[in-house]
Amino acid sequence: MITFFNVSCTFGKDAGVKDVNLTINEGEFVFLTGSSGAGKSTLLRLIYMDLFPEKGKVVIRNFDSSKVRPNEIPFLRRKVGMIFQDFRLLEDRNVYENVALSLYVSHYKTREIKNRVYNVLNQVGLGHRVYYNPRELSGGEQQRVAIARALVKEPVVLLADEPTGNLDPRVASDLMNLLIKINQTGTAVIVATHNYSLIPRVANARIIQVNEGEIINPV
Amino acid sequence: MTILWFLIKEGFRGLGRSGYAGAFSIIIIALSLILIGFGYVAARDTLVMVENIRSQFDITIFVHRNASLTDLENFIEELSYFEEIEKIDYISTDSAAAQFKAEFGEDIFSILDYNPLPPSFTLRLKPQARNLASIEDLTTRIKQYPIVDEVRYRENFLRLLEKYQRLIFIAVVTAFIGLTLISIILASNSIKMTIFSRRNVIATMKLVGATNNFVRAPFLIEGTLEGLIGALLASGVIGLISYFFNNYLQGLTGYQIIVSYRYYIGLLVLGSLIGLIGSMRAIRRFLE
Repeated sequence: MITFFNVSCTFGKDAGVKDVNLTINEGEFVFLTGSSGAGKSTLLRLIYMDLFPEKGKVVIRNFDSSKVRPNEIPFLRRKVGMIFQDFRLLEDRNVYENVALSLYVSHYKTREIKNRVYNVLNQVGLGHRVYYNPRELSGGEQQRVAIARALVKEPVVLLADEPTGNLDPRVASDLMNLLIKINQTGTAVIVATHNYSLIPRVANARIIQVNEGEIINPV
Repeated sequence: MTILWFLIKEGFRGLGRSGYAGAFSIIIIALSLILIGFGYVAARDTLVMVENIRSQFDITIFVHRNASLTDLENFIEELSYFEEIEKIDYISTDSAAAQFKAEFGEDIFSILDYNPLPPSFTLRLKPQARNLASIEDLTTRIKQYPIVDEVRYRENFLRLLEKYQRLIFIAVVTAFIGLTLISIILASNSIKMTIFSRRNVIATMKLVGATNNFVRAPFLIEGTLEGLIGALLASGVIGLISYFFNNYLQGLTGYQIIVSYRYYIGLLVLGSLIGLIGSMRAIRRFLE
C-alpha cells in the first residue's frame, strides 16, 4: 500500500531521511521509533506529501510522489488520516464542526456528514461532548477529537505523529487501546514515537527503528 | 448544495471572526469609495458643465453684402444638407443693426449714416460635431462657397476647452484607476492580516484534504462582504453629505449634488470587487 523506493529527503540542517526503502501493507500496525530528529516525522510527511523526495519516490496506492500533481494531493489526504502531538484542532469551532470539516472538504451531503460524525464521536467515546469547544476538553479528549476527525473519512491509513506526547500515561494507554481498535477494523496505523513503553501494548506490531534519517532494520 | 452553503456560512463566520483587521479593511474600502464617489461626481459635473459651454458654441458665416435673395436661399438649402448642422439662423442686415442697437445702445445709422453690417448666418451644430476637428472641416467646406465672405468661430476658446476637457478626463480616469488600485492594495494587506491570523485554519483544511479552491472560497466571500459593507458605509456617508449640502449649502454655492440609485449600485459593485480582488490577492500567498 505504501512503498518508499530509495527515498532521500533533507530539509533544514540535520532533519531528513537517506536512502529509505520501505513497504507498509494494508491493515498493518507500524511503530516508527527513534530519538527526536531521527527522521520519523519526515517519513510521515512524505506519506501525506507535505514533503517530496529529492531522490527516489514514495507510492501510496495509486499516488506516486514523482508524478503527482499539486491538485491531486488533496485527494490523497482524504485517504490518509493524520493526528499530531499538538492535536491541531480549530479552537473557534466545536467538536462536531472540527470533525465534520474532513467530510465537508470531500463534498459529502449534510445527512451523511451528521450520521458519520455522530458515529465516529461515539466510537472514540466523545458522544457526550459533541458541541463542546476544544478548549473545554482535556488533552486526551482533544486527541480523541483529532482521531475522530482523521477516522471520519474512513482512511486507508492513520498516521500518528507522537500522539501521546502531550498526554499523561493513563490517557496515553487509553489512546493506544483506541488505535488498536481502529487497526482491528482494517485501517493501517503508523505511529511515530520515541515512547518505547507504548510498543509492547500492540501485539503483532512492526517496529521500524529510524536513526539519523536511516532505517536500521529495513523490511 | 451542502458545500455551497458551508462555504457561504464560513465566509460570514470569517467576517465575524476577523475582528479589528476586518473592521480596518471595511474602513479602508469605505474611505476609498468616498473619495472615488465624490471624485466621480465632481468630474462628471465638470464635464457636464464643459459640455454645456460647448452646446452654446456656434459658427457665424458672413456673406457678401451684394448677395441676392436667390443666392441666400440657395445657400440656405446647401447648408441644410450638411449633417453636422442642427439649426440655421439667418440674420439680415436690418436684424444685425437691431442687434447692434440692443447690444451697444446706439443706432448704427446715427454713427455711420449707412448700415455696414453684412447679412450672416448663425449655425448651431449637432452635439457630435461640436469639436475642433469637425468644425475645422466644416468651415473649410463652407468657405468654398463664393457667397461666403468670412467664417468666424471662437477657435482659441474651443481649443482651450478641448484641452482642459481632455485633461479633466485623463485626471479623472487616472485618479479612478489609482484610487481603486490603492484601495485594492490596502484592502488586500489588511485582509492578509486577517488571513494570517487564521493560517492554522488553512493548514488544517489542507491537511484534511481541502483543495485550494475550497480553502479560497470562504476568504473570497469574506473579502466581498467586507467590500460590500465598506460600500454601504461609503454610500451612507455620501448620501448624508449630499443631503446636508443640498439642503443647507446649495443656496450659497448654487450647486447641487445629484446622485441616482444607479450611482449607489455602482458603488456597491465597485466595493464588492475591491474586496474580492483584495482577498484573491491576499490568499494567494497562503496557498503556495
